[in-house]
Amino acid sequence: MVAVGGAEQMVLSSDAVLSSDARWEMVDRLTRQTVTYGTYKRTLGDVLGELTVKPLTGIPVAVAALFAFWSIFCSFAGALVTDGFMVKLFDAHWLPWLQSLWPDPASWHYFVFVGDPLADNCFEAFGVLTSGLFVSIGVVLPAILIFYLMMTVLEDSGYLPRLAVLVDSVLHRVGLHGYAIVPAILGLGCNVPAVTATRILETRKQRFIMMSLLAIFIPCGAQLGVMLEVIPDMVGMVFLCLIVGFCLFGYILNKVIPGENPEILVDVPPYHWPVKENVAKKLCNRTKGFLKEAVPFVLFGVLVVNLLYLGGVIQALAAFFEPLFVTWFGVPKETVGPLIAAFLRKDLAIAQLSVIPMTAYQMFASVVLISIYFPCVATFVVMLREGWKELIAALAVLFVVVFAYGGLIHAIGILLGVA
Amino acid sequence: MQKKLFELEFGDMAVVREIHTSHHDLNCMGLRVGKELKMITKQPIKGPVVVLLGEVEIAMGLDMAAEILVDVIGTDA
Amino acid sequence: MADSTKNKITVLMVGNPNVGKSALFNRMTGSNAVVSNYPGTTVDFTKGTLIEGRQEYEIIDVPGTYSLEPRDAAEEVAVRMLRDCPDAIVMIVFDATKIDRGLYIALEVMERGMPCIVAVNMMDAAHDKKITVDTAGLQRLLGVPVVATTATSGEGIRELAEQIRKAQVADLDAILKRLNGENTAKKQVSGCGGCGGC
Repeated sequence: MVAVGGAEQMVLSSDAVLSSDARWEMVDRLTRQTVTYGTYKRTLGDVLGELTVKPLTGIPVAVAALFAFWSIFCSFAGALVTDGFMVKLFDAHWLPWLQSLWPDPASWHYFVFVGDPLADNCFEAFGVLTSGLFVSIGVVLPAILIFYLMMTVLEDSGYLPRLAVLVDSVLHRVGLHGYAIVPAILGLGCNVPAVTATRILETRKQRFIMMSLLAIFIPCGAQLGVMLEVIPDMVGMVFLCLIVGFCLFGYILNKVIPGENPEILVDVPPYHWPVKENVAKKLCNRTKGFLKEAVPFVLFGVLVVNLLYLGGVIQALAAFFEPLFVTWFGVPKETVGPLIAAFLRKDLAIAQLSVIPMTAYQMFASVVLISIYFPCVATFVVMLREGWKELIAALAVLFVVVFAYGGLIHAIGILLGVA
Repeated sequence: MQKKLFELEFGDMAVVREIHTSHHDLNCMGLRVGKELKMITKQPIKGPVVVLLGEVEIAMGLDMAAEILVDVIGTDA
Repeated sequence: MADSTKNKITVLMVGNPNVGKSALFNRMTGSNAVVSNYPGTTVDFTKGTLIEGRQEYEIIDVPGTYSLEPRDAAEEVAVRMLRDCPDAIVMIVFDATKIDRGLYIALEVMERGMPCIVAVNMMDAAHDKKITVDTAGLQRLLGVPVVATTATSGEGIRELAEQIRKAQVADLDAILKRLNGENTAKKQVSGCGGCGGC
């Protein structure tokens, strides 16, 4: 091959293996001869760096930052783009145009691609080209875009490691350490890169706990976008439920799973101004990734679900699972269809829920259920890449958690008299 | 005066004397015997400790910080 | 080696987390590896191609690691890459503000007898912190090419690309002798004749 010369020279120095102390000694002597430190004046960045990591000032800043993150996300994705522009575009122009153009409203292809001929909005039509396109482009795309923009700024400024230090005390008790905040926040965008990001955790136990909790309790950007659109008033409650579940089951998993839970040990890098080009490039790549991977999935998901409806498969499954869903989780049997769709895309399933007549509690319970239910197919695939044993174990955990937590929420609902 | 690392007060400067825990990992982060450091902050409810080593800030768990012995050499408010 | 111009040479970029390996990688290959300001952004390797002179290099951006005794799964990826590509040139990337940590892993790589080149990155940050790094001195002591770079602005990238072909297997005994002030008569960076870069 190429570096033949290099391979032969290897023999000369291959016996020179040092102890780590000897290496450090050499490092010190090398740096003493080549590096000089001048007198350094603290900059504004350093002061800010310290303020944001000290608990007294850092915790309020973290709360404020996350709240700002959330409100910008809601107002931009939910109110401004989707309600202000996309809904009008899709409902007033796209849907009537398609309905008038597509031949034969009674045919199977009308049902699959356009959906309900009487629908007056794109959420309820449920065809591939109506709801499918509306959900992916009109609802999810703006959410993903603004989420990644803010996420990139958080990443590039150097705030994440400081946040990790601040939340470490909590996360260490659920079997992780503060740095798990990185996959957790990435997961709010998309679970796929988040699963790979669990590699920054040290032990298999930590990675397993994080992966399971990620798949179960962290809703992805697509789900968030749809939730904002369908149940804007309940998103806070759903989040609370998910966070409580995250901590509760994290605590249990930490106790049950053998293995070590090492403490945090990380660099806290100095703040940088995010470089404009880098932010733009990252945003562009991630959005492209979404358009390439998620949009076809949504369209395909609607297609499959509609075909299953046409074939009567979903109706049969719904009849079969009805007792379970109605008695154990307290949700109507119509939710079975969306739950099957949820395996293909969770965001899609939440959109489907919106057309089923339900009480507020039932709506809430089914959204939580879908959020903690199976991760989407893409997440499955990346989890498999991290190890099939972990995947199977994570699935087992998932079943237990869905039943236990779903039942628990139902029980609380009954106690409060809303279920 | 010898202390455990986590017993330092905010702004205390100290020299690392002994490391009784996985010193390989700490060494790799730049924390070595003989190095000077400054306490930046300790998080509440047994949270991690942040120290400044030269120009580098690192965060470590409390139990780890309990295994590091240091000599206090001064305070920089 | 007659057809060396056609063969791809593999270059592994190794170094501590968050020293700007991915940013350097993007600069050299025009790729889109994800760059952020926190240690552990790169958890998997990314490949890209650099053509310098008539030589094609396959550059691999390896997840950052503090040492070759891995602590987490991302660091294991790095160690595995080094093991699986024994013929590769290793580009060791330093953070100019944390030279000691970089040197540690550099020594570990050098012990493996792989040809090395060093990039001292983040020179701008070092300058801001009033830290000066004598790269020429470092090059003399280590006996491998050492190039100062700033990936965010692109400074030094050109030179780094040109110097890859001069990567050397470091001789640790010779480094020790030079540290002791002995003059190891052997020319430190061979192939320096006539390039005009010095």
